[in-house]
Amino acid sequence: MNQHLVLGQRAIREVLRTPESLFPTVFIPLFFLVVNVGQAGRIFPAGATSFLEGQNYAAFQVPSALLLAASFGSAALYLVEDIEGGYFDKLRAAPVSRTAIVLGRLSAEAAKSVAISALIVLLSLPFGISVASGALGFVLLLLLAAAWSVVFSGFMQLIALKSRSAAATQSGSLVFFPLLFLTPNFVPRDLLTRPMEIAATLNPVTYIMEALRSLILDDLAWAKIDRGFAVVAVFGLVMVALNVRTIRAYD
Amino acid sequence: MALAVEADQLVKRFSGRSGTVDAVRGVDLRVTEGEVFGFLGPNGAGKSTTVRMLTTLMTITSGSARVAGIDVTADPDAARRGIGVALQEAGLDPRQSGRELLVLQSRLFGSTAAQAADRAQELLELVDLVDAADRRIKGYSGGMKRRLDLASALVHQPQVLFLDEPTTGLDPASRLTVWEEMRRINAQGTTVFLTTQYLEEADQLCSRLAIIDGGVIVREGTPDELKAELRQRLSLAVEPSLDDVFLDATGRTRERIAGQVQEVQG
Repeated sequence: MNQHLVLGQRAIREVLRTPESLFPTVFIPLFFLVVNVGQAGRIFPAGATSFLEGQNYAAFQVPSALLLAASFGSAALYLVEDIEGGYFDKLRAAPVSRTAIVLGRLSAEAAKSVAISALIVLLSLPFGISVASGALGFVLLLLLAAAWSVVFSGFMQLIALKSRSAAATQSGSLVFFPLLFLTPNFVPRDLLTRPMEIAATLNPVTYIMEALRSLILDDLAWAKIDRGFAVVAVFGLVMVALNVRTIRAYD
Repeated sequence: MALAVEADQLVKRFSGRSGTVDAVRGVDLRVTEGEVFGFLGPNGAGKSTTVRMLTTLMTITSGSARVAGIDVTADPDAARRGIGVALQEAGLDPRQSGRELLVLQSRLFGSTAAQAADRAQELLELVDLVDAADRRIKGYSGGMKRRLDLASALVHQPQVLFLDEPTTGLDPASRLTVWEEMRRINAQGTTVFLTTQYLEEADQLCSRLAIIDGGVIVREGTPDELKAELRQRLSLAVEPSLDDVFLDATGRTRERIAGQVQEVQG
């Protein structure tokens, strides 16, 4: 536990000392939010669109922005730097738990995601959105986005550990875009065409997006919230286990 | 004397799409406690691969190794507690300060925050980096980075210190400073396992050495023993240098012509 915390503090320090890496993480999701709302906002007017639950289309789009921000993790790129610079070997040559090496970075990524998600929600307020599930819902919103950042950063770290290359790791992040667009990104699942609906149903990111969306548009809809947390819990455990196994077998 | 490093028939085989390569082919090593042991060899001879196996960084294909009395395969974490490692590439985090790096490394070995702060200060004094302690490592010179790397390998007072080409790329003054540190560390009882490409360095520092070539040990002994053996075997009129021993051991010879040195393939 101590090693995990110490490595987590180091990873947070790393992020704070490269603030320029945070700018695209905030700017690009907000850019997509503005563009998507600008393009489709008039198609779905607040008063006449039942799935908006009385809010405007920006409220429907905020979960996409949160997921996008949570998928811009830098943990894997810092890991590649550690590998290339030899610091990763220094850690491996010390009696450090391999789980602590993985969790240190992922915990820092989760903490970063909480801060960035809170900032995005705050910056979305001028669009007229509100979090219908209240203070508890807001906390759950941040936790769910942070949990997704752990899953996706865990996936990116796997690429980093296998490829040991910054270019390959950077390319891995592009996987998120098909995952994002095969969700009910612009309309609810029941309004999608049949092939898209099937794809969205098979896509685990759909359930995280629907949970986030329910926290913004509805009161606490526990069935959707539980499903979202269950998905990140399962995938999070798988990612941590695969990361630990890869570090143990690292030659 | 007890053995600090012991390897029996150590083998490392790499398999890939282009085939199989045996980088290390049955290496036996015995290093006694308190020695400065030199491990020499040309590029690609298997030096670093052997060190990586001995320091738990690489799996062993076959054979066995014990460092600080512990089997590195059976109990790698216990072995890691007994060794300090400074590899060819100084393993430092450029975004941290020297002090932060040492405190972190010390805490990873189980020290409390206060103990780690004290140990970091001691080590910064040892390697003469107190003035630069709170600056980011990315601004350090090559020599400073090397000294800090050495200090970070010592946070837990290891029984055996592995140094993989610690002076490669350093200017002569920085090299002498690292030599001094090495001697000081060894005088305090730490066994030093040193790989180097600089034969003068091995001659100056090592009580015993082994030369590896093509993944096998081709010579082993004290520098004086190795020179005497070559002088006797080749009936040389003058005392050969360690360079001559190295070139002979690795299948090359050197001719001296009117003060010039010419290297030829044997």
